[in-house]
Amino acid sequence: MTFNRLFSGAAFVSKVGSRSVFTSSKPDSANPNWLRVGLAFGTSALLWGLLFKQHSTDVHEYKVRNGLE
Amino acid sequence: MGFVPDLGKSLPPPSVANRNSLWLAGVGWCSAMLHNAINHRPPMKSGVHRQFLMATIGWFIGYHLTKYENYTFAKLDRDMNEYIRLHPEEFAAKEKKTFAEIVEPFHPVR
Repeated sequence: MTFNRLFSGAAFVSKVGSRSVFTSSKPDSANPNWLRVGLAFGTSALLWGLLFKQHSTDVHEYKVRNGLE
Repeated sequence: MGFVPDLGKSLPPPSVANRNSLWLAGVGWCSAMLHNAINHRPPMKSGVHRQFLMATIGWFIGYHLTKYENYTFAKLDRDMNEYIRLHPEEFAAKEKKTFAEIVEPFHPVR
């Protein structure tokens, strides 16, 4: 939903207390969009994994270059 | 954002928890909460997956930023020390005077 707002022209129209003419249905807050939730958490998990992997690579590289291992 | 050249890889890497990561994760989290607030959703309770994702992105960027910062400062320090080593005449130790030599004699007027 955030990217729809960014990329569609509706982002420039104030949506305070009014229905947007660009979408046919109101944002439904009672039923979460599980696909988007899964994608968000999946991407987060991927980023954390990348971070820890990069960190361990860096530590290993440092040890090898300074003759500690 | 941190693409450290080969030379910088012999520096000790920053720990996963570092100041830039913490700050940028906070920035990401607050931006997610601000986004909630602007769209009339409860700021902290809604869209936890968004908050977590933005905080993670901030943390990730912060780690690489810290690495690049360490590399930049190490390079500057190395160049500065090399300059000092090559130009010792500009960095001669000043001759030290004790206070006794500088201070004028004290004549109290009571």
